[in-house]
Amino acid sequence: MKSSANVGGAHPLFYVVLAGACAMVLTPVLWMVSTSLKERTELFSDPPLLWPESPSLTAFRSVFTDYPFADYITNSLVVVLTATAISLVFSTLAGYGLSRFHFSGRGAFLGFLLLSQMFPSVMLVIPYFKIMKTAGLLDSRLGLIVTYISFTIPFCTWMMYGYFRSIPRDLDEAASIDGCGPARTFITVILPLALPGMVATAVYAFITGWNEYLFALILTNSETQKTLPVGIGQLIGQYKVEWNELMAASIYSTIPLMLFFLFLQRYLISSLTAGAVKD
Amino acid sequence: MAATSLKGDAQASSRTRFPNGDARPPRRRTAAAKARARAGFTFVSPAMLVMLLLVVYPLAYGIYISFFDTNLLNRWDFVGLKYYAQSISDPGFLKSLVITVVYAILVISGHLIVGVTLAVVLASDIKGNVLFRAVLILPWLFPEVVVAMIFRLIFDPVFGILNYALGSVGLIDTQVAWLDHPTWAFAAITGAAIWKGYPLVMLLALAGLQSIPRDRYEAAALDGAGRFLQFRYVSLPGLAPILGVAVILEFVWWFKHFTIVWLMTKGGPVDATNVVSIDIYRTAFQSFDFGRAASMAVIVLFICILFAVIYRKTVPDDEI
Repeated sequence: MKSSANVGGAHPLFYVVLAGACAMVLTPVLWMVSTSLKERTELFSDPPLLWPESPSLTAFRSVFTDYPFADYITNSLVVVLTATAISLVFSTLAGYGLSRFHFSGRGAFLGFLLLSQMFPSVMLVIPYFKIMKTAGLLDSRLGLIVTYISFTIPFCTWMMYGYFRSIPRDLDEAASIDGCGPARTFITVILPLALPGMVATAVYAFITGWNEYLFALILTNSETQKTLPVGIGQLIGQYKVEWNELMAASIYSTIPLMLFFLFLQRYLISSLTAGAVKD
Repeated sequence: MAATSLKGDAQASSRTRFPNGDARPPRRRTAAAKARARAGFTFVSPAMLVMLLLVVYPLAYGIYISFFDTNLLNRWDFVGLKYYAQSISDPGFLKSLVITVVYAILVISGHLIVGVTLAVVLASDIKGNVLFRAVLILPWLFPEVVVAMIFRLIFDPVFGILNYALGSVGLIDTQVAWLDHPTWAFAAITGAAIWKGYPLVMLLALAGLQSIPRDRYEAAALDGAGRFLQFRYVSLPGLAPILGVAVILEFVWWFKHFTIVWLMTKGGPVDATNVVSIDIYRTAFQSFDFGRAASMAVIVLFICILFAVIYRKTVPDDEI
């Protein structure tokens, strides 16, 4: 990202705005962490303890012993990683094809990719429910994988298409002058250069799947097949809510996203804003 | 930028390939061009096939269901457009559409105000820029389910920090059940959605601000424009294209939103937060009125497509 224009100097008021905004962001986050570290008895203290007197990891353990969170996490990982890998292969191929070649139907396909982002998921969930039932894939990881690639492939293709367009075409032409066919040009010349874009695209596909709630809620039923968001969501369904466990589970499900962002921040932000900004 | 020069190259090469001066290729294509078209199609066909199977077919099937009174098992009674007529004259459904539009508008306005304000602040040369940005991005990294849970906890009458904070400064003296009160519940789901979603607008606006040439600000300053006028006449016009696209995308996104609202209020109390996704979900999976729910979904689809069309007109042509 270019570090060019700073818009004016810092007004003292800016620091007030920032302090307020950071407080609004950090208060809920810290409340979540603090709650997750409380023992059951400390939850009920009146007034509420801002920070537990003896922070404990009990809740982080009990979500595994008292609830099938190991299953939820495994299911989420298997479903989301598989769906991400499949989408990445399909969308990398498609993105390259769209960025380099003209063929009939190309414009229509690009238009449909954009349009598919507009489909309300609650609309697709009804036919999906029936289709998965007929195919015998209801309440299975495979059913969820199929469902997730249906919404990750379109936007991954769009992202990869954008990334391939930023790789100069001269490279393809040079390779083809050297006698490479399209397939070899793609694999040996362009693919290595597209790696950062593929990483960013894969992370977005992962995040989308990892966060998905509605389809998993409807398409799975048994505890052994549910994903992490569904598992967290149903912790609150009972009369009594164990807030410390709920927050511990929430932290588990946030960790992968935090890690991705920590290590891949630069890729993620630049690929996010690449389509929107021209500089 | 690279994209424009790429386009230039493409035009140049197509001009050399089709020397008749026509913008379109001549009817009889060279063997090489045909081979390239075939190669392109080969690259794209796997994804195309998957989308036909997993997007187009379910979509068509969903529309098909909307014409039937069905339990998706053994009862398939064709009812034509009956459910469409019912839906558009059903006050409950219309009310949920209105709630959803108001919700989307409030959430997006919140994102724009918070996002652009923070982007302007972050784009200035304040100290600790990187740290502040990292903190302010945080909400974006929380899964929607987690955001819903955090806010359930904050608004909880007994365990919530909100009641504690308001109580300790003397603003309330009883434990308020925020999510059981229609107005407060709606405010709560709006606040949670603003909290979750503003970082995206902030990042986009930040990138937009950084792409505005500095000399425009200098020129404005020379003309005697102060900070506010510079924002009004330089920053905002520079951001307009990005924000325009963001608004359309966000509208479609929040118009069909389900997770946060469902987990915080289940559409209640009564139907104060009954957004259209929840209405459809309940019609389908609690009343098992699948045909009717499908017709409601098709209506929502049309509303979203309307915005998609606007979006396509907003995106510059060279994006395609």
